[in-house]
Amino acid sequence: MQRRLVCFYLISIASLSLYAAPLSAEIRVSPAHVVLDRPEASQQLLVTELADQTTRDRTRDVAFAVRNPEIVSVNERGVVFPLREGRTVIDVQHGTNTQSISVDVHGLAAPPAVSFEHEVIPILTKSRCNSGGCHGKAEGKAGFKLSVFGFDPRADYEAITAEGRTRRLFQPAPAGSLLLRKASAEMPHGGGRKIPKGSLGYRRLLRWVAEGAPFEGQSAQVASIELEPREAVLTAGQQHQIRVTAIDSAGNRRCVTAEAEYESNAPLIAEPDRLGLIQAGQIPGEAAILVRYMGQVAVCRITSPQPGVEFTRPPAENFIDELVWDKLERLGIQPSDLCDDATFLRRVYLDTIGMLPTVDEARQFLEDSAPDKRAKLIDRLLARPEYADYWAMKWSDLLRVDRDKIKPQGAVAVTRWLRSQILQNRPYDELVRDIITAQGDTYAEGPASFYTVLDDPEKLSRSISQLFLGVRIECAQCHHHPFEKWGQDDYFALAGFFTGVKKKSLPGGNQAVFSRGGADLKHPRTGKPVPARPLGGTATDFSKIVDRRRLLADWMSHPENPFFARAIANRLWAHYFGRGLVEPVDDLRATNPATNEPLLSKLEGHLRDGRYDLKAFTRTLLNSRVYQLSFQTNAGNQHDAQNFSHARPKALPAEVLLDAICQATAVPEKFPGLPSGVRAVQVWDNRQTSYFFTIFGRPVRASVCECERSNEPSIAQALHLMNSPEILSKIQSRTGRAGILAGADAEPRKVIEELTLATLSRYPTGQEYELLLQRFEQNDRRAAAEDVLWILLNSKEFIYNR
Amino acid sequence: MSHSSYCDRVNRRRALQIGGSGLLSGLSLPALLQMQAQAATEKSPPATACIMLFLEGGPSTIDMWDLKPDAPAEIRGPYYPIATSVPGTFVGEHQPLCARVADKFTILRSHSHNDNGHSTGYHYAFTGYRADFPDGNMRIPTNVLYPSMGSIVSRELGTKSAVPPYVNIPNGMGAGGPGFYGAEFAPFVIESDPVQPDFEVKDLRVKSGRPSQRLKSRQQMLQKFEGLGASAAKRSRPEMMSTYYEKAYDLITSPQARRAFDLGSEPEKVRQEYGYTSLGQCALLGRRLVEAGCRFIGIDHGSWDTHFDCFPSQEKDLFPHADRAFAALVTDLEQRGLLDTTLVVMMGEMGRTPRINGRAGRDHWSMAQSVLLAGGGIKPGQVVGATDKHAAAPVTEPVGIEDLHRTIFRQLGIDSTKIYYTPLGRPVPLVNGGRVVEELLV
Repeated sequence: MQRRLVCFYLISIASLSLYAAPLSAEIRVSPAHVVLDRPEASQQLLVTELADQTTRDRTRDVAFAVRNPEIVSVNERGVVFPLREGRTVIDVQHGTNTQSISVDVHGLAAPPAVSFEHEVIPILTKSRCNSGGCHGKAEGKAGFKLSVFGFDPRADYEAITAEGRTRRLFQPAPAGSLLLRKASAEMPHGGGRKIPKGSLGYRRLLRWVAEGAPFEGQSAQVASIELEPREAVLTAGQQHQIRVTAIDSAGNRRCVTAEAEYESNAPLIAEPDRLGLIQAGQIPGEAAILVRYMGQVAVCRITSPQPGVEFTRPPAENFIDELVWDKLERLGIQPSDLCDDATFLRRVYLDTIGMLPTVDEARQFLEDSAPDKRAKLIDRLLARPEYADYWAMKWSDLLRVDRDKIKPQGAVAVTRWLRSQILQNRPYDELVRDIITAQGDTYAEGPASFYTVLDDPEKLSRSISQLFLGVRIECAQCHHHPFEKWGQDDYFALAGFFTGVKKKSLPGGNQAVFSRGGADLKHPRTGKPVPARPLGGTATDFSKIVDRRRLLADWMSHPENPFFARAIANRLWAHYFGRGLVEPVDDLRATNPATNEPLLSKLEGHLRDGRYDLKAFTRTLLNSRVYQLSFQTNAGNQHDAQNFSHARPKALPAEVLLDAICQATAVPEKFPGLPSGVRAVQVWDNRQTSYFFTIFGRPVRASVCECERSNEPSIAQALHLMNSPEILSKIQSRTGRAGILAGADAEPRKVIEELTLATLSRYPTGQEYELLLQRFEQNDRRAAAEDVLWILLNSKEFIYNR
Repeated sequence: MSHSSYCDRVNRRRALQIGGSGLLSGLSLPALLQMQAQAATEKSPPATACIMLFLEGGPSTIDMWDLKPDAPAEIRGPYYPIATSVPGTFVGEHQPLCARVADKFTILRSHSHNDNGHSTGYHYAFTGYRADFPDGNMRIPTNVLYPSMGSIVSRELGTKSAVPPYVNIPNGMGAGGPGFYGAEFAPFVIESDPVQPDFEVKDLRVKSGRPSQRLKSRQQMLQKFEGLGASAAKRSRPEMMSTYYEKAYDLITSPQARRAFDLGSEPEKVRQEYGYTSLGQCALLGRRLVEAGCRFIGIDHGSWDTHFDCFPSQEKDLFPHADRAFAALVTDLEQRGLLDTTLVVMMGEMGRTPRINGRAGRDHWSMAQSVLLAGGGIKPGQVVGATDKHAAAPVTEPVGIEDLHRTIFRQLGIDSTKIYYTPLGRPVPLVNGGRVVEELLV
């Protein structure tokens, strides 16, 4: 024993000295010492080359030589497996350089007992036995039910050891257990072969059964997982191995690389295999590799730059530009040029007020030579009442202002309230506080009817967390959130804030909303009350509180709340830039990182520092050069979809497109039951039947999800725009724009100019004049003007906001 | 460097590299070559078109095509089997019309897969690929990456006429989209129910006569106009919209296409034969579209998700509608000499649980579902496969989604081993694995 120890020290010293030797300075081998303490243990070695401030994974390029090959084996991926108890050394050879790793194998003869909770469940999870599509379904599968993702280990233990007439385990001959025979497909198994015979998972299950299938075992709860590396830069086609180490509550470390699960948010940029080897694809960009083990999640960020790009840094108007250029420089993506004035004009009108500029407005702006004319235009637009109309519509969608649920009076009341709040630029935190603590008459101008639409504590907690915090907590209603720390406790704790909400029916069909008292909700599994508390927050004493919701509102707008500012900053960004920094816009979590994290966090701070002044925030977005980039791509940025290196053509929302058609043709739409002159954006009635709205994807407000608005093109849309009586009658109206222009004595050139300004907000080009003038040579003026308007209105440039 | 050469060069290599994982799992190169060789030896295809009646929500085929009269009451349910025109073949008592023409179609009883979700199961059933999203309510179409069966047929067989090769009636199918194939292969969605008295394909303006010369000249000039300006990135929405414009224009200008959609010109007797139900009139429109040259008609028929008190709605609506529509379609196609070249399939994304639940309904059960197939080289009058005594799982070799797809494509003369690359270079074979179910074929 003593000799062994001495020997061990010698080896350690040897390896330490080698590690420090100048020859091997650029090669780093880790860990220096490997302990394998049970038969199924394995250890991923990592060999990293450091050169020019970059690191490169060399694990699969070196040779591993085990001095005593009876003790351990090392495979070509650098994974060490135990064979026999004892100590040895692995020599890692790279070129002429050798480094050594000491290895200690014990616990093979008398291993620590397998823990069901900490060692068996991860196998079932990794093999997807307990996924929502298999045994993890609410009703289980083939009479065998597991809790989804193993969130209820006790129940799973029962299911495996006690249910099914206890035949799932067969102690006298563990390999004969139904559990193993099914999982390895020795017996017909609907799910196929999930845990192959001889695999790590199989061997551990076998040992667990042989040990008497205890629940506890001899390993502790995993407290955290550690990733190496946490970020890496790879060029196209390169590979990089991740190592995952689990650290338990007692501080013990164990390599779980072979047991963890891996998933990429951008598989075309970088994709991991089952054992954590990441392969960079041919597409430059950034990918987040999500790693999961026993409810713990961590992310490894992979950057795959475009090689050989000489980046020319464009000027920066504000911090947005600086941070976007930083990112693009790192990725080797050259952004597009600044867009021209006409493109900016049309874009900023449609984005802020949901309307086209008038012909006069367009002319004025295009002919203005002031250097700050773009900034001034932004200020003018944000001050216009149409800005409030447009944003009242957007918020009505999200707050589910539904005539069928809250009556027309209620829908009008909320819409008016929203419009007035936006018009006076009410700080966002105050606006949200009003919504969360809403009370009073649902027909009065105010947000009270939010509580009629969402009429139980759970719906409220799901909707409010998604809407204002960007947290999709609904997964945690039934089980632990698969990619997050949220569990059922968090879900019912949040819902507990709304248990005091009561409604009294009033004679006119309206309701009076108020909140008084409230009780904690019961956990569906344990039956115990879950004290109300915010996400990640602590419980409070509610005994003296009348309206519990006030505390939730306080927590939301607290400067240290990690979600609130981030959620709205990302939502506004997505509106103006056509894509969120985080997508989907309302799914913010550590495991779904922003494509430009420094930018999003700076935007959050900017919003908080500006006291949630949404107009000021919007002004910052719109004045950035990034917002004002051209949609035309260059060779290097045409594939970039997430780093904002060029503008992204946006589909117009149904209402905005209809208003644009009305404005361009100068023939307003008449909506049944509403006064004439009402624009589509102002239609508060979500049930207004309109074929146009249906095919262009106006939401019916069935959810608080922004995704309900669909913008995908279709043949039906094309048919409607080119051939429907509704649109043709506007184009061909005698009193419409084409009719009036044709009736006046303007030159054909002038007619074409007017129509182009009215539709595309720009002057026609020389070639366009030439082409469109042909219509006037062949037809009478009226027909020619109508044809030109038809062509302009059906052009992509009109239908899209680019 | 042009985009396509970039893809080819990189991806062939990458496809081999990743052969053991991801999309091509289980499809080694030798196996691939072998399958291609097999595909090449197949004779000229029996079918030129396919009508898919999709019973969305999951039909209770244990009550329709695979009754278990000897099972306990909580499994066999209230229905009795009845004899059919094929001696020894029995179907449920609420399928009397199909029973009469059972010699014209085949019941596949051993269809089974393991995705029990609606949107994910629909995705699997209609694209042949597992959903890459969790189950739940999704925007339609749900298949953003993988193309639907209809889009594949549309791409492989192309147009025979101005009628779009792939149509969805009356609404867009859950996973009916083109995926990465792009707008060109998207279904033409009617968005109007043929059972409605005022049914008209909106904006096609069938009733108002021929399209004007004016539209034609406008369209020509629009194309020239679009050619002058700058265009956005290749797969951006505006570029997709251009494709839809071309398709819409073809549709408007073809008299043949406009006639196909004119259900009113169909004799009253025929319309009644199919039944004045959504499914019935959709099936009839499907036949007219086949005659006009359409390749794949996907009919989406909802309300089959009968968790609660299922028997009254099954008896009153669902079963009689499906019974009448399917029987009429098969009979009508045969009388017109079209059945041999038209493959008719009726299925849902899943079957339903053998055991009746506490609320007198049946729940999702993708492990066993009976699928009806007729025409297009399917050997008629058969029962293929069998389930156990509770209709819980096949006892014969299960026929999975991939097997069904491969069989359908084979009958349409489509090589299922063909691979297309996603715009960013990922190889996706038409069908990933599976086998042709020879027992079904003539």
